[in-house]
Amino acid sequence: MKKNLFLKNAGRLRFLSLICGLILLANLGTAKAETKYPKPTGAVNDFAGVISPDYERKMESLSHEVLEKTGTSIVVATMETIGDNDPDDYANRLYGDWGIGKKGEDKGVLIFLAVRERRVRIETGYGVEGILPDGLVGEILDKYVTPLLKTGDYGKGLANAMIAVSAVVAKAADVSLTGSPTISQPVTKRARRGGSLFPLLLLLFIMIPLLGTRQGRAILPLLLLMFLSGGGRGGGSGFGSFGGGFGGFGGGMSGGGGSGRSF
Amino acid sequence: MTKTGKISLIVIAIIAIFLISTYSFVKGTYNRFVTLEEGIKGAWAQVENQLQRRYDLIPNYVETVKGYAKHEREVLIQVTEARASVGGAKTVQDKIQANNQLSTALSRLLVVVERYPDLKANQNFIRLQDELAGTENRIAVERMRYNEAVKVFNIRIRSFPDNILANMFGFKEAAFFKTPEEAKAAPKVKF
Repeated sequence: MKKNLFLKNAGRLRFLSLICGLILLANLGTAKAETKYPKPTGAVNDFAGVISPDYERKMESLSHEVLEKTGTSIVVATMETIGDNDPDDYANRLYGDWGIGKKGEDKGVLIFLAVRERRVRIETGYGVEGILPDGLVGEILDKYVTPLLKTGDYGKGLANAMIAVSAVVAKAADVSLTGSPTISQPVTKRARRGGSLFPLLLLLFIMIPLLGTRQGRAILPLLLLMFLSGGGRGGGSGFGSFGGGFGGFGGGMSGGGGSGRSF
Repeated sequence: MTKTGKISLIVIAIIAIFLISTYSFVKGTYNRFVTLEEGIKGAWAQVENQLQRRYDLIPNYVETVKGYAKHEREVLIQVTEARASVGGAKTVQDKIQANNQLSTALSRLLVVVERYPDLKANQNFIRLQDELAGTENRIAVERMRYNEAVKVFNIRIRSFPDNILANMFGFKEAAFFKTPEEAKAAPKVKF
């Protein structure tokens, strides 16, 4: 009779912990569905396939040099189409998704081209707004970029954009650019999130005696879930560097600075 | 160990765990509220930076337009007046409202400007126009980030069981920065 009661209790506890577990899972699983952005492959990301290999190589090496000498990351992205998105808004979000420039420094520039939408935009990160004001960016586009884009010479137009932006960045940092290809090492490291061991130890301390009994074993899942839910459950989103040896992606942000032109 | 001893040990352990997890739940939730609320404040400060930037930019812009479009007094006065009321706004709600009025007035001015080719060819004006467009874009970006922060916070303090704690500690829903339909339809600056 007594044994029977224990079994019943254990069953009830298991049921309870299952319910709690389900509630918590429902709580935790609130991932947002957002627009998927392609991952960058380097400084030049010609998804639309409009830049000739020669220009691509030149731009890639120039970007590496600028990054090495000034810490400013200049990235190019071309897209065949961006669908219903607003091009300027898309460029800003893409900038944030890729994290151009180091986190906190935000020294980065995104040269963005949407081919079907016929829109070009130079998006500036927070850290370069001072040296690349919107008016200057607009002037660069008017003088060196849009005339070439109008004739369909995308590669040359985008290369001009990068050369002009690089010149401004280099001048501000007081360095001279040689334009020769240089080998660059990734400069960013994956951010690590250290957690305290104390809650874990406390958990073990309480769990061990409980493991000795049947009821204890029955409520174990419940306890584990309680601990998981109670504590600070901040998600650690570590920004890492990706994109084939180009270390210009480090979680940088842009506040929507820069300028755009339709052509 | 006797059976009673074992049972009382379990009871004590359960009570201890209950207390610890309650404390840890309250602590975690409260601190989360604080973090989110600070996030909203930070996002709002960014919005205000950009609104201030626009505020500073307008006199120069208006002066330049005046030089070419003297007859458009009404629109220019509207912009100047809306700007003045932005300067006088104190609370977040007032600031949002005043700035929305300014956005509406500015979008009218942008339409008017289209009629003056000489003005549009002026190098100084092109620069100012770029700065203004860039600022509008920045405002849009920071406003979106602010609204996202507000949304996360509001959902959190209204959901069960966090709403109980939010009520207990007096956390109030934050205000969204909504834009007027008129300003949304502002024409894109094209050259």
